[in-house]
Parts: sequence; structure tokens; C-alpha cells
Amino acid sequence: MALALEVLVVSRLLCFLLVLRLGAGSEAEGVGEKFKIEGRAVVPGVRPQDWIHTARVLVEGEEHVGFFKTDGTFTVNDVPSGSYVVEIVSPAYRFEPVRVDITSKGKIREKRVEEGISGMLSGEGGHKARHVNYLKASEVIRLPYPIQIKSTGPPPYFLKRETWGWTDFLMNPMVMMMILPLLIILLLPKVVNTNDPDMRREMEQSMNMLNPNHELPDVSEFMTRLFSSKSSKSGSGSKAGKSGVLKRR
Amino acid sequence: MAPSLCLYIYSGLNQQRDVRLRYNNILGLWRTVVSVHSGILEDRAVMVVLSEIWLLFALFEFSAAIYEDQVGKFDWRRQYVGKPRFAHFDTPTQNARKLMVTTENNVIASLNLRNGEIIWRQVDKQGPEGNVDLMLFHGQDALTVSGRGRLLRSWDMNIGGLNWEILLEPGSFQTGSLVGSAEGVKYIAILKKASISLHYLTNGHQKWSEALPESEKVQYQLLYSSGSGAVYLVGMVAGSHLVVIRYDIEDGKIIEQVTVSAPWIRRLWDLCGIVADGILTCIDRESHSLWILPLESEHEPEQILLQSLELELPEKFEGKILTTQSSPLVASSAQFCLQLSESHYALLQLHEGVVTLLRDFVQAVLVSFATTGDKVVTAVMTAKNKTAFGINLYSAENGRRLLDTAMNFNLDPNCGQPEQLYIHAFLKKDDSVGYRALVQTLDHALIFIQQPGRIVWTREEALAEVITMEMVDLPLTGTQAELEGEFGKKADGPMAMFMKRLSSQLILLQAWTSQLLKMFYDARKPRSHSKNEITIENLARDEFNLQKMMVMVTASGKLFGIDSSSGTILWKQYFENVKPGSSFKLAVQRTTAHFPHPPQCTLIIKDKETRLSSLHVFNPIFGKRSQINPPVLTRPILQSLLLPIMDQDYAKVLLLIDDEHKVTVFPSSRNILQQLQDSAPVIFFYLVDPVWGKLNGFRLHKDLRTEEIWEVVIPTETQKIVIVKGKRSNEHVHSQGRVMGDRSVLYKYLNPNLLAVVTESVDTHHERTFICVYLIDGVTGRIIHESVQRKARGPVYVVHSENWVVYQYWNTKSRRNEMTVLELYEGTEQYNSTAFSSLDRPFSPIIFQQSYIFPSAISLVEATITDKGITSRHLLIGLHSGGILSLPKAFLDPRRPEVPSEQSREENLIPYAPELPIRSEWYINYNQSVSRVRGIYTAPSGLESTCLVVVYGLDIFQTRVYPSKQFDVLKDDYDYVLISSVLFGLVFTTMITKRLAQVKLLNRAWR
Repeated sequence: MALALEVLVVSRLLCFLLVLRLGAGSEAEGVGEKFKIEGRAVVPGVRPQDWIHTARVLVEGEEHVGFFKTDGTFTVNDVPSGSYVVEIVSPAYRFEPVRVDITSKGKIREKRVEEGISGMLSGEGGHKARHVNYLKASEVIRLPYPIQIKSTGPPPYFLKRETWGWTDFLMNPMVMMMILPLLIILLLPKVVNTNDPDMRREMEQSMNMLNPNHELPDVSEFMTRLFSSKSSKSGSGSKAGKSGVLKRR
Repeated sequence: MAPSLCLYIYSGLNQQRDVRLRYNNILGLWRTVVSVHSGILEDRAVMVVLSEIWLLFALFEFSAAIYEDQVGKFDWRRQYVGKPRFAHFDTPTQNARKLMVTTENNVIASLNLRNGEIIWRQVDKQGPEGNVDLMLFHGQDALTVSGRGRLLRSWDMNIGGLNWEILLEPGSFQTGSLVGSAEGVKYIAILKKASISLHYLTNGHQKWSEALPESEKVQYQLLYSSGSGAVYLVGMVAGSHLVVIRYDIEDGKIIEQVTVSAPWIRRLWDLCGIVADGILTCIDRESHSLWILPLESEHEPEQILLQSLELELPEKFEGKILTTQSSPLVASSAQFCLQLSESHYALLQLHEGVVTLLRDFVQAVLVSFATTGDKVVTAVMTAKNKTAFGINLYSAENGRRLLDTAMNFNLDPNCGQPEQLYIHAFLKKDDSVGYRALVQTLDHALIFIQQPGRIVWTREEALAEVITMEMVDLPLTGTQAELEGEFGKKADGPMAMFMKRLSSQLILLQAWTSQLLKMFYDARKPRSHSKNEITIENLARDEFNLQKMMVMVTASGKLFGIDSSSGTILWKQYFENVKPGSSFKLAVQRTTAHFPHPPQCTLIIKDKETRLSSLHVFNPIFGKRSQINPPVLTRPILQSLLLPIMDQDYAKVLLLIDDEHKVTVFPSSRNILQQLQDSAPVIFFYLVDPVWGKLNGFRLHKDLRTEEIWEVVIPTETQKIVIVKGKRSNEHVHSQGRVMGDRSVLYKYLNPNLLAVVTESVDTHHERTFICVYLIDGVTGRIIHESVQRKARGPVYVVHSENWVVYQYWNTKSRRNEMTVLELYEGTEQYNSTAFSSLDRPFSPIIFQQSYIFPSAISLVEATITDKGITSRHLLIGLHSGGILSLPKAFLDPRRPEVPSEQSREENLIPYAPELPIRSEWYINYNQSVSRVRGIYTAPSGLESTCLVVVYGLDIFQTRVYPSKQFDVLKDDYDYVLISSVLFGLVFTTMITKRLAQVKLLNRAWR
């Protein structure tokens, strides 16, 4: 009796695919028409028979409940038209909840049956806290049939223990800040041969580059000159003495 | 570069030291505050420190999560299915492993026969829409009809999933049966009030569906097929005639329709059955006879008087018939069972139109048929006395007792009488019949028994419907009690006191050494042996009072005492006279703190029909009925109050108010009455009448009369009262206010008499529906606050604690769940800082309100509670998915700013976000989901950081939560090895370096 129809899917999470096929169910007694929500859920790498016995499909809390078939498909029957959040609950696997809008216009029923009911699916919940209302129509995507709700893996229920290891200690920023300069001080002179005249020239050049204003006297030079001029006599004397000794030799 | 690095390290160290200092501060101050109830100034200081605790914790993430290695360390879960409606053993062989059950709680489950554990379980919707009306079995498939005949499902019993599911046509469901034809069992027939349909067993598709003739007059109730290619349908008009219709299986055409006059017919089910090859046998209760009518021929029914069978009939004959058909492919067995009275059964045989008596079972409790291979056996259960029972098997063919089939067993004396018997018969290797029995008792226990009477397992399914519970502290051990007693006794003098002190210290030392020795011995033993079982004898309070006794009251009228640390049932007590639908209230009148007086609990049981209540007083630790005689209540009780007034035996007073507003006092000793007279002017109580939408406040007079002092009427044309919630009496609020960013204090409005009243609109149209929250002072009747939430619909869940109310509702406009928090503050000045009086409050409180979106439907909310109320609060939210979410209250703070400012940052307010987060680390029950949460019970423990949580519904889950992490004990992952190795290492290096230094000094001296 149910007619398979076209599916309009609004999905915030483009990476995961979602299927819902909506069919017009048989007319129920009492108020309004009842529909069914059909779909399929997949846990990658796990056979359906290994997880479906702990899973259920909840529509708007526990208002409507559906169970899984052994092939991983599900049907929720007797749902009146409206907007619902469909959740697949399983303690072992996490599924994103989806919002399903079942629209029905009683007057153009035949047409509706021909065209089908559009299922508006959209991601809801999640940590980014965007609500369905904020979604734009441009984000509506038509998904091919059949489409699937894919599990995003087991939920992380547990915190990780902080374990003490040498790597943790070494990767500590403080330790890193202490060790890295130490390494630089110790290793750099060995890597760079300072005795090489080419290298020295290069270094001098780079130092000059760092000192953009050549006219300005360097402060340190100035200071040394200032102090050395005072003690120049003794300094030169000793130097002369030394050189004298050398000469004498 | 080097100096700057140094500075950085220095500042880092500084920070660390700072934090540590704060930490010490907290612990120090906490102690002083605990001992002395402080004034404002000190309070303020404490609050400052508290906010610092908050800072300290804010450094970490909000945490309710556990580590993976803590799984099962302090939590446990027990799963239940409920009272079985249908049960079936999977194969009729000795190595059957599974038992399929569907229960009154709309659960379909498969149980392991070896240990009674659940293999898989599917929980359907609550209420009649999920009700399982019928369960049938075909091979490895179980067929269920649920939701008043709406859905036909086929379950794979091995996997726990559906093979197929189809929607049946509307109509009230009557019965269904498997239909056998020449090719085997291929169809299931579903009988509705006005139609019959046949479905394929392989995919559920409908083969045919036919409207029933004259369905508005004739009640069709019986279906029968025997593999002959036809389905018989029997209908009747009470007191007039029977209609028998034969349908062709292939096309649903009526082959034959017979109307037989039967003025004696009353109803078909349990009075009529199909026996032998399609012979309808009915009991006529009035003329004490059997009527026999072959379905195929057009004979007039034949009457057989029961007296002619030499059966003794009781005066008021309430006969029932029990027939059996081993498979839909063969005819019903020619033997059937007749229940003559409560304990009198007869096994009869119908052979060629003659009924003969095969065996008379006098004093039988239950009788059940079972089939194995081609043998049909009758199991008869007899009672020797109240607890001893026996089961015997009789061959149905000749009524002889089968050899070696006697089974004798004893049921728990605190257990109900057997109600239902399921027999799993099988053929042994020597072709004799062996069997196992599943006994269901009135208190919803399932007992599986093996020959010769060994109870293999027992399931207490009453625990699937826990109504209320309390946690009671365990008693002290002998030595602890000795120490406690030291202070309680009258002092003889300083010297005697000193001697007493010494001796008790000696006792402690002795206990400690013996404990050490025990630990030493246990360590040498293999692991499995050292695991000591908890029994009622070795129950004792632990160091931090983390282990408690859970007293659980179930809907069946059975009480359980469960050890909270392991989930072991320590005692059970069944009240036989409790009718279903009774309401219960449990009050702890005396805790274990008053040694040597035993603790005392009182259970108030209120009957639904008579509205009369009865009191039951018992010891919650041992489950024994107390010697105290409670007062007999002759009038319906409307309200019960547990007053903090104690009698000379330290039992708190229970005030019971009946429908004439008269007060009954229990216990009603003279001492109590005197105390009541003294304190009568300060005793107020309120009554709620949801039918008339009235809340009435009363006061107590000295002569125990009551006087109405206020009345609040909520117009019932527009609203109905759904929830009235006060605060918990054992709740402590530690800080009187909150320190704001500008160093001023915002004092909390802590009115212990405040009631949160929630009303829902009668009009449920999504445009006009609303909910209303009133905060009413229970003493004066003053409405302190009123807020209307338009376009909101229930169910509303409320938590009322400290100075805040959190409620959850459904927003019909945006179609989402929302939570609103109300917080009440007095302002920056306190009106009266020493005591709160409802009668003297000239200023109305300042109310902050904020709403959030909660991204899931919920089934319950409760708040954590701790001993002194220092620890921050969390909300425990039961979700329909089975998860229990622990949401920090800090997210539900109406002062969360939309734009964070410097001050709000200092106060550690989280900036406002419309949606509340749900993180999977916040599930306190990780993957141990709890179905259909009906209640969350929180209790403080001896540790301030720790709150004990019990979640009950279909399952029971117990755990501990640490809303502010474990700040008062070392964490369980505290690295003792590292700390001690570092310590030893340091000591060792000091010794070595000392030695080296000496050597060096010596060498230098010699140089």
C-alpha cells in the first residue's frame, strides 16, 4: 500500500548519508492519516545481527518506537503527519539524530500520493548546537534511494587516564624551553665551523644586515671606546709589553 | 634569552604555589565551617573561598566522566523484564538454552536457562500501544501481536531482531493461531472483532482477509485448525446460540456455516475448548454439566452431567477448562483438564463421545500440560505447606503417574504463592520424560527448577516496577559502636572516662591488627577465595559511609533490602494483601545513628479502591517487622509529615492527616504529645486537591486540631495541577549567597517552605497550550512568583532545590524540549541572617530566569545532593535512550551573560548559548543503559565530594558521582609507586652524595 516516493533531505552533516523513505500508510481509524517512517542504519564493519538487539528507533522521545529487522532496516508505524526527531539509540554505537517532517495536505491527496511526501531530513543536536530552524532551503539535497544512516562509531564514554611517561615529561613546554636553548648553545658551535673565513665573512655580513644604520655608532662600541680610552695607557702598555716579549723572542 | 626563561619558570612555579595555597585554604576553612555555624562575615569568607574552589575546578573541564578502568568498580546494573505474560522454551529437548518471555511491561526478551540472565531484550512503548496481546512460536521465530492487534511481528529468537513486521487492519483483537495445512504450518490466522485474516509466516503478507458475518451481534473468540486445510471459527451470542464457520485456507471462502442453539452459553474463553478431533467442549456452570458439540456435523450439543463422572463439586462451581494441542498440524489431544475449584482439578478424556475421568487431583495448586515428541503430560503442582511444594508428572493418555518425575522444592517464606506453571518437558535418552519447571509466583518472581527440586535460578521481576525507595545507613560494627557508646553514656568521673578511653583505644588497636593480619592472609590466598560475599551478618558501615542499604518498594507489594555496593538482595518481604495499583510512601523514622535502638522505617500503603491506608513498621537493615504496633487508620489519609521531633527512643514523629483533616500521631507516646503541644504553633502543612485545583494550608493547634489558614484556587476550567514539589528535607545549603564580580554578595532566597506548583493548560491545541509555574510559600500561601510559558506542553519535569527551580517542557511552536531555570535572590542585603521565617518577609525576592534548548527528550530530572552542600550541583537527566546525563548546574545559571564581561569572567559564568551541550562523557552509566527510568534517587555519602545515585525503572543502576571531582580523598589512580620511588630515590641520593662529599673533603684535606 505504501508508495515509495521521492526524498528530500536536508543535511547539515554532508559527510554522512541518511535515508528515509516515507510512504503513505493505510488510513487508520480515528483522527487523521497515519504514516510510516522507514530507513536503514549501518554500523561499518559490524553485521546487523550483532548490534540490533540492543538498538531501537525512537521518534520524538518514546512517542513512537521501532525495532530493527535482521538486515538493519527499520519501520516506525502509525506516525501522524508532523515534524519529528528520529533517533537511533544503541548503547554501543552513536548515530546522529535526524528531523523528519511528514507533510500532508488532505485536499490534494491523490496528488500527494503521486508526488509523494517529502521527507525533510536535517541534522539536529550535536555539539555545534545549530538548530533546524536556522537551516536554509539552499541546503536541501536530493539523495538517491536507498540511503543510509551510518553510525559515527562507538561513543567516547570514558576519560583517558593521565599516564606518566618520559615523553610527557619531555614534551612539557617548560622542559622543552629549557632543553632547546641548551641544545642550541651546545650544538651550534659544532655544526657551524667558525674558523672558516668564508663563514665568518658571511656571518659578519648578516650582522651588518641586522644593523641597518651604519652611520649610527654602535652603543657597545661606543661604551668600549669610552672605557678603553681611560685605561688605554695601561692596556696599550701591557699589549706593547707582550708584543715586545714576542718580538724579543 | 636565558634570564627571560628563568622568569617564566619562576612565574610558573608561583602559579602552582598559588593554587596549592588555595587548596589548603579550602580544606582548612571547610573544617572550621563544619564545626561552627558561622555568621555573615565568615559565610562571606567561605563564599569567597568557594568561588575559588570553583576557579580551581574551572581550570579543569566539567567532569562527571569516569575512566575506563573504573567500569563496574562502584557501579552495577540489574536488568529486569517484568511479570511474564507468555513464556516459551525454545526447543523440547534437554539442551534447550533459551526461554522467550513477553511481559506485562511490554518487553520481549530471551532468557538464558542456565543462569536466568537476559540474552536479549526489546522494550516496546509503554501503555496499551506496546502491549503484547499474543505470542506464538514457530521454529526459531516468535510471532507477537501487539498494540491491541495493530502490529504483527515475527522475531528471530536467536538474534533479537525482527524478521518482518506488518500493520494489521484496525479492529479489536480477539485471538490468533497458527494454521496448519497439508504442506505444514505456513500461515497465522488473526481474529479481530469483525474480520479474520490469514498471513504468511515467511513474510507476514496477507493471504486473505474476510469480514465476519453478523459481527455486530456474534462474538467470535475461538480459532481452531488441525492441518486439514480448513480453519474453524467459533462465535456465540451469550444465552442464545453458537456459530461455527469453516473457512477454506486457500481462498478464505466460507465452506460451511452452522448455527446451533445454545441457551446455556455465557462466554467462550476459559469455559470452552476444542478437544480431540474438533469437538467443542463447554462448561455450563449453572447446570454443572459439560456440553459436547462436534464442529463438523450438525448435531445438537450433547449434555453430560458432571455428577455422572463421580466428581465432587463444590457448592459454588466455578469451572474452567484447559485443553492442549501439541501442533497446529494435528488434532487437539483427547484429554483435557477441568478446574473444579481453587485446588481441585480433574483430568478427563473424551473418546467417541464418551467422557471418562482419568484422574482426580485434589489439593492441586496448579496444573499445566506439556508436550514432548508425541507424548502429552500433565504436570500437577501440590502444596505440602506454605513453602514446600511438589510437582508430579502424569501421563495424559491414561492418567498414570510417571516414575521418577517427582520434584520437591521449598520456596522462600517471604515469597508469594505460585501463580503460573510452565513445564519444559523433554525426552531423555532412555525415552522417559524429563522436565524442568518455571514457577511464577504472585510477587512476580520467576523460579526455575530442575529435577529433583534444585532451584537453578530465581529472578525477582518485582524489581522491574520499583515505586519508591530510601537509602539507610548501615549499622556500625561492634568496635565502632563501642567507641560511639563512650560518649553517649553518663560519665562516672574523669578517671573512669580516661580508663574507658584507653580501653577503647586498645580495642581499636586490636581491631586494626586483626584487620592487618586478615589482609595478610587474604593476600596469600588465591583471588577467587578471598572475595568475601556480603551477607546480612557482616554488614557494616564503611569508612566513608559509601555503602548503604537500599530499601525498595515495588508495585507488587514486595519490599527488598539491597546492598548498595554490590546489588545483592539481602532481604525481601512480601505483603500478600496489597492490591495492584496501591500507592506507597516510605518514611525513615529512625536512622542507624541511635545505637542501640534499631533503625525504623514506616511504609504507608494506600489502597486504590478503598483509599484506606495501612502502616507497616519494619527494620530496614534486616527487613523484620517491628514489634511496635502502628495505629489502625479508619479514614483515608491525605497527607503524611515526618516531623523533626523525636521521642525518647529517637524515633521521628509521623503525622498523618485524614480526609476530615484530623491528625493521627505515630508514635503517640506522652512525651511526643507534650513536645507536639509545645511546637504546634510552628507546624504547618498543606493539602493539594488536583480535581478541584485547590491548595490549602493548615496549621496545627495545641490540642491537635487543624485550622485552615489559606487557600489557593487554580481555575480548573483552564489549568490542572500536575506537580507540587517542595524541597528535600535533608538538603543542606552551604553558602548563603554568591560573590559577584564587583565583590558584593548576592544573597540567596532560601525559603525551606517554598513549593513549586506546575499547572498545565486543559486546552492542548498547540497554539493555545501553556504551562504555568507558581512558587508558593507553604506556610502563608503567598504566591511569590508566577510565570507562564506559552505554547508549551507537558510532561513537565521539575527539580526544586536550594534557591532554584529547573523545569523542562515541550515547546510546541519550535517543536523542541526546553529547560528553564528560575533563581531566587534576596538581593545584596539579607533581611534576617540568623533565621528564616515565612511570616516575616516584607521584601519579595529578586527572580532571575533563563531558558535553554535541551537537545533530547527526557524521562526524568533529579539533582545531586551532598552531605554539606559544598560540592557544586549537577542535574541528573534520564534520557529515553537509556543514558543518564550528568549536566553541571553551572550551565543552568540564569546569570549566564550574553556578552561576557570582565566581571562575569571573574565569576566564572559561562557565556549564554541557547543549546545545552550533551557530551557522551557525561553519561554516568556509560553503555549500561537504563530502560524506562521511573525514578532517580540521590543520597549523600560520608564524603562531601560523593553523591550516591540509584536510577530505577525497568532496570536498576547504582553508581557514585563526583560533581566537583574527588577533592577530599586521594584519587584511585593516585600513583603511590611513583611518589614512594621518588622519595626513596631522593633519600638514597642524599645518602650517596653525603658520602661522596665526605670523601671529597677528606681528599682535599690530604692534598
